[in-house]
Amino acid sequence: MPDDQRATTVDVRFPAGPSTPVEELLGGTAGGLRVGDERVREFLAAFGRRLLRPALARRHPELGSLGFFLRPSELARTVDGLSGEHVRVPRGLVFHVPPANVDTVFVYSWALSALMGNRNVVRLSRRSGTVAGTILETLHEALAEADPVIAATQRVVSYERSDAVTAALSAACDLRVVWGGDHAVREIRRHPLAPHARDLTFPDRSSFAVVRAAAWLCAPRAARVTTAEGFVNDAYWFDQAACSSPGTVFWVGAEGDCEAARTDFTGHVARVLTARGWGVDAAMAVEKRVSTYGLAADGLAERVEFHGNALACVRLPAAAPPPRRWLGAGTFAHARLAALAELAPLVERRDQTMTHFGFGRDELEELARGLAGRGVDRMVPVGGALSFHRVWDGVDLPAEFTRLVTVVR
Amino acid sequence: MSSAVFTLSGPEREAVLTPELAALTERHRAACPPYRRILDAIGARPPYERLADLPWLPVRLFKTHELRSVPEEQVFRVLVSSGTTGQRPSRIHLDREAAAAQPRMLAATIRAVLGPRRLPMLVVDSRSVVRDPTLSARGAGVLGMMNFGRDHTFVLDEQGRLDAEAVKRFLARHGGEPFLVFGFTFMVWLHLRGLGADLSQAVLIHSGGWKRLAEQAVGNAEFRRRLAAECGLSRVHNFYGMVEQIGTVFLEGPGGDGLYCPDFADVVIRDPETWQEAPVGVPGLIEVVSTLPTSYPGHVLLTEDLGVVRGVDDGSWPGKRFEVLGRLPRAEARGCSDTMGQG
Repeated sequence: MPDDQRATTVDVRFPAGPSTPVEELLGGTAGGLRVGDERVREFLAAFGRRLLRPALARRHPELGSLGFFLRPSELARTVDGLSGEHVRVPRGLVFHVPPANVDTVFVYSWALSALMGNRNVVRLSRRSGTVAGTILETLHEALAEADPVIAATQRVVSYERSDAVTAALSAACDLRVVWGGDHAVREIRRHPLAPHARDLTFPDRSSFAVVRAAAWLCAPRAARVTTAEGFVNDAYWFDQAACSSPGTVFWVGAEGDCEAARTDFTGHVARVLTARGWGVDAAMAVEKRVSTYGLAADGLAERVEFHGNALACVRLPAAAPPPRRWLGAGTFAHARLAALAELAPLVERRDQTMTHFGFGRDELEELARGLAGRGVDRMVPVGGALSFHRVWDGVDLPAEFTRLVTVVR
Repeated sequence: MSSAVFTLSGPEREAVLTPELAALTERHRAACPPYRRILDAIGARPPYERLADLPWLPVRLFKTHELRSVPEEQVFRVLVSSGTTGQRPSRIHLDREAAAAQPRMLAATIRAVLGPRRLPMLVVDSRSVVRDPTLSARGAGVLGMMNFGRDHTFVLDEQGRLDAEAVKRFLARHGGEPFLVFGFTFMVWLHLRGLGADLSQAVLIHSGGWKRLAEQAVGNAEFRRRLAAECGLSRVHNFYGMVEQIGTVFLEGPGGDGLYCPDFADVVIRDPETWQEAPVGVPGLIEVVSTLPTSYPGHVLLTEDLGVVRGVDDGSWPGKRFEVLGRLPRAEARGCSDTMGQG
């Protein structure tokens, strides 16, 4: 279909409806929800329960995680965590622009916003995958039993690239949520918001893992296997291209320990990959050769090793900056640090998630304070990189999705 | 018609090229620091017993990096590939010696099917492709081949329409003696068959890939059959080559039984899972090797083309005969850094 920058109609995909002019879409969504609205909770919980059906969760494990996130107890925790001296109210109309190719992101963003009582318009890419289709079907199943207020307040739409529609939605919303990287953010920002409205942006991020070598070497075999499995989940689920997937692994400790730990770790990861039958296709295999040979040519890789096509390991020279661009699914840079504190000068604003193994809470908090906001928004154990949390990229989403009314008597 | 560059059998070629390319590898290692760093990082070191033991570079590295084995002041010419949209082009650095060798070796290869004399030449394209100041790859290809012909006549006019009159005049002058026809595979398929001309004296040389013909389910066999049936054209030679190994072309033999390697080059088909050499008949990624790249480390290159060796020392010319099966798709990741703003 040709792009028409002036086209003003959208396809309404939830609740499924005809192609609708954008003005009509905006006029047709009503308010009437409260923060933590019971009717939204019931709907989200029913939707989440359906995602946890074994057949579905087996086929698309990411839907299982999503279903888990939408458990009633989890929703209650989110709502209860907001209590304070002010009256919390919804922001109003929230316009969500999720990435085209991580199908589940739009649900996390939208569900939290709906839970906070907002009217929502989610722009779903036409390029979105089969998982997005499954999500829409499941949303409709849950809608059948839901209060009519859900259908009246929530919209998922798709439209061909059209500046007119994006501009209309941007001008009308009270909060615009843009996922999908620097380019997407820049593109969307061309369209002005109303003076009172604001953007919540999720630009390009990169992530790394930190392992204390001595802790790895002392850990029982079972713990090392579990951690390797978690690491594989963190990295391979989204072809290592999710912003929270680790690219570099920092080994902390004495040189000999780090060497031994890295070798053992790599062996475990390789075994997990073999056991799960994770492979990459020829195109990805070539991609990894191009990127790793390129690092070597630039003097940023002392050693490049392949353990089959699925696992490539690059050893960084001392003091080299960790690569932050995508190097192909299953490509890990390894570097050694004498102490955790040596990480601080290497961290940049772009760094989002630090998955860790073998460190105590105190030293992690000390590191976080020392970084003082220069980068790293999440420190989670290896295996938890992809677990979405209501605090994401350093932002408390439920708080962002609401306003506070001061009432003094 | 076989001439001086299609003479070596498989084992002879292996014996001649392995030490030559091994020496070239060490020469580039010494002269090109990025190349040396790659070889050091992957642990490549001599001895190399067989061609397949030589370390290869992914051809795309010439798009992402400047790799040359001569100092900047000795660079005589920089070749730039067309490159697909959104991708940086390859940059190939030639010194005076390499720049002189490549047309000479190309000529020797092409003369295997054209003979020593320049033939009258019909170009299945428009003259405008060679006039464009920002010469396209297609224009450069046509210009390069025009060296092998004389009395150049273009089949298409400046607007890209069939110029039947020009072809008629050309055939009236030259149609009774051997003449050369050159064009890109798809252009040949599109325009040559509709001419209704007798091309039985022609030698057709064509290149450029089969992608657009494959979309119409036309393969090499069908291409040859229809040209023979409809134009009487039976001497047809496809060739395969790339700017990253300029001067080296793999030329289809007289019987249409595959692409052959000139004596200074060879192909290794690699299994993309094990990276070992695939046996005859088993498809894999095409690695091209050639002794011509002396000023840049492009002597052993892994392409992103899929191919298969059909036989060794069993066809019209000695050595491997192989087929190009298509292109590997570009790897894409489903990440969250994505341009949703683009729709």
